[in-house]
Amino acid sequence: MDFAPVLDGFGVVLEPTNLLYCLIGVVIGMLIGVLPGLGPAATIAILLPVTFGIEPVTAVIMLAGIFYGAQYGGTITSVLLRLPGEASSVVTVFDGHALARQGRAGTALGIAAVGSFIGGTVSIIALTLVAPVVASFALDFGPPEYTALALLGILLVATVSSGGRLKAVTAACVGLLLATVGQDSFTGAERFTFDNLSLADGLDFVPIAMGLFGLGEILYNLEERHRAVQAPMTVANVWPSRADLRESAGAIGRGSVLGFVLGILPGGGATLASLAAYALEKRRAKHPERFGKGAVEGVAAPETANNAAATSSFIPLLTLGIPANATMAVIFGALLIQGVSPGPQLVSQEPELFWGVVNSMYIGNILLLIMSIPLVGLFVKILRVRATILAPITVLITLVGVYTVNNDVFDIVLVIVFGALGYLMKKLGFDPGPLVLAFVLGSLLEDSLRRSLLIFSGDATGFFTRPISGTLLVVFLLVALLPPIRAALTRRGTMSHPDTAPHDIKELV
Amino acid sequence: MTTARDGARAPGSPGGDTAARAIPPGSGLSSDPVGEELSLEEAIHRVEEAEHEGRPPAAGALSNILTAAAVVALGIAALVGSAGLGLGTVRSPESGTWPLLVSGALVLLGLGLLATARRTTDAERFSGASWLVLGGLATMVVFVAVIEVIGFEIPAALLAFVWLRFLGREGWRTSIVTSLAVVVAFYLLFVAALSVPIPHLF
Amino acid sequence: MTVLVAYVPTPEGDAAFTAAVAEAGRRQERLVVLNTPREGAPVSTAVASEAVVGALVQRATAAGVDVEIRQDAHAGDLADEVLRVADAVDASVIVIGLRRRSPVGKLIMGSAAQRILLDADRPVLAVKP
Repeated sequence: MDFAPVLDGFGVVLEPTNLLYCLIGVVIGMLIGVLPGLGPAATIAILLPVTFGIEPVTAVIMLAGIFYGAQYGGTITSVLLRLPGEASSVVTVFDGHALARQGRAGTALGIAAVGSFIGGTVSIIALTLVAPVVASFALDFGPPEYTALALLGILLVATVSSGGRLKAVTAACVGLLLATVGQDSFTGAERFTFDNLSLADGLDFVPIAMGLFGLGEILYNLEERHRAVQAPMTVANVWPSRADLRESAGAIGRGSVLGFVLGILPGGGATLASLAAYALEKRRAKHPERFGKGAVEGVAAPETANNAAATSSFIPLLTLGIPANATMAVIFGALLIQGVSPGPQLVSQEPELFWGVVNSMYIGNILLLIMSIPLVGLFVKILRVRATILAPITVLITLVGVYTVNNDVFDIVLVIVFGALGYLMKKLGFDPGPLVLAFVLGSLLEDSLRRSLLIFSGDATGFFTRPISGTLLVVFLLVALLPPIRAALTRRGTMSHPDTAPHDIKELV
Repeated sequence: MTTARDGARAPGSPGGDTAARAIPPGSGLSSDPVGEELSLEEAIHRVEEAEHEGRPPAAGALSNILTAAAVVALGIAALVGSAGLGLGTVRSPESGTWPLLVSGALVLLGLGLLATARRTTDAERFSGASWLVLGGLATMVVFVAVIEVIGFEIPAALLAFVWLRFLGREGWRTSIVTSLAVVVAFYLLFVAALSVPIPHLF
Repeated sequence: MTVLVAYVPTPEGDAAFTAAVAEAGRRQERLVVLNTPREGAPVSTAVASEAVVGALVQRATAAGVDVEIRQDAHAGDLADEVLRVADAVDASVIVIGLRRRSPVGKLIMGSAAQRILLDADRPVLAVKP
């Protein structure tokens, strides 16, 4: 493979502006990631307007920085407060908080930062090698393949989502429907615009993401009362000792590989990777009983894996144009707004952007390692600010921020509407993630479906006779139909045991 | 935990948001003094339970049925709307073909939700605190309704004040000082520094 | 009847606690330590850590006083919460710590202590460190 563009990419990243924005992104990401209630998707959604005035490369570099920072912010709260800032840090709570209670919070945070750095770096190197291959393979993809791929992507994300699968798929369908609002790109006919001029161009991605993830989450948190308040914990001795590093070296190595592989799978992502890595370490350990009581590997493995996965989940996005999870869907939306459409042609047509983004991940990781540890004290201070004070500020940032994108008051109306919808969805057990993902993929899916039907001149079996789209659709059918059938069978078999733990786990991962 | 964040989410958890539900000490996690070994599944299960501490209880069957009915209604409305766009055929798809497929799926999914409504446990009951949400939404509606007429400063200060004093039950002084400070900061950032053309009074 | 002390991990709080232990010993009553942070933030410096709570219990027990620690978070005004708990535990005296404040500082920050002194319907013992 040709390494010249890779090196050029470093040139892009090392430009002072880009470095600065990467740094800002990492710090803001960590700051907001530390706050309870706002995870990476919400953080990126709320900060979307910030990235508009800047160049695409810089904007994406900043977004990647925010993404990393938000991930690590969740780790900090997991370790210090037993408060997993996001799903992928849940398993870190077990050993991380146990270590903190033994006065070794610094060790836990240090090993998490080192693990994240190594996992991220391994994953980026693998990404550098794999992504162009995947992209060149995908260059041959036609509309039928994209139809199958988009369908499978949406279904997989809906499958791993919380609540019922039925509800997640419903949310995805609503997202697809919302994507049809506006002009039909084939016939130019106006669809579902209700003669509203503001709807003629379709719904914007930004107010939807900001409303569902940002406002929805804030409104949902309004209802919560009496959260446990804890005494601040002091963090000393942040560098893990040589013994700790030796002990967790294996865990970090295995976590990197596992995280990279699982991160590529749609819907899998960081959460699945962290769970799997923790389980693997526990199974391999000579003394598994140490886990949950402050085993350093119990922090190293999931934190390495979730960062490796977070990195490799960029592969389907950058090479196929299919986001692997809700956070990637938000980044995808941000790219589209910047006029960049991710897909197989990105590597060849815009190598500067592609490699700039990939290489910014190295820098992001290094910045994360450097910034995280000295700033822990600051992050702990931020946790002392009451949610009641943060909430109105975040609301105003969202309302004013969404206006700045198009300077259009209608966008504020939209963000409020989707905020209310996001609240209702969370309240009623619908995950907003699949909706946003489906909305982002909606027009791609419809276009490819219609083009395919034209190619096949109406013969839908054509999808199954092409090897790649056929395989993808068979997988789609398996994923769609197996669980309901299995559930029906188990219900018949064990009526007395409707809700067992293994069932829960299967759905969780 | 939110897929919104990343990948997987907690099963059957209303709203399912990991983000930051505190896990109170002694909920039997890692540092359980009894020292019995926890399986990973068990531990995750307990994390999820702890996450839902402080949340309202699960909703009743009626609310689930209404939800499912709303989905069906949305699907039917979209079906009718797509029919009006021209349905086309598989050979020559029209503007309405794809919306028709999606809304058909939506109707089926809604019926599925209806069938499982009695077994659904992942929805939350609307409690007295839900009025807070309605109040919060109301302040935003007022904000957007008057912003073009009188600029953002007054509605923003009002919004912040209502959220602080009445939704957050902060003290009078904290509420007044914070809401004024927020508006000044926003003015300096958006109007003075970034010159965003947001409607403003001064 | 009990002795109620409003505790925060500061010199003022410690002074109040010391006085409250002595008071409880003299009155032969149970000591209730109210260490309540405002709800809403995940972390608050008003909360005593486990180690501090352990030390408090030890000091009280050493003085032969029966002690109960309450650490639930409260919403709204601290003074209201103290008065509410005082009613609930039927306190014969409320012990609070006072900070030395300039008149300006008091104007801005308000004063929970002042409200407790004015509104309480039972004896209040105010202690300075």
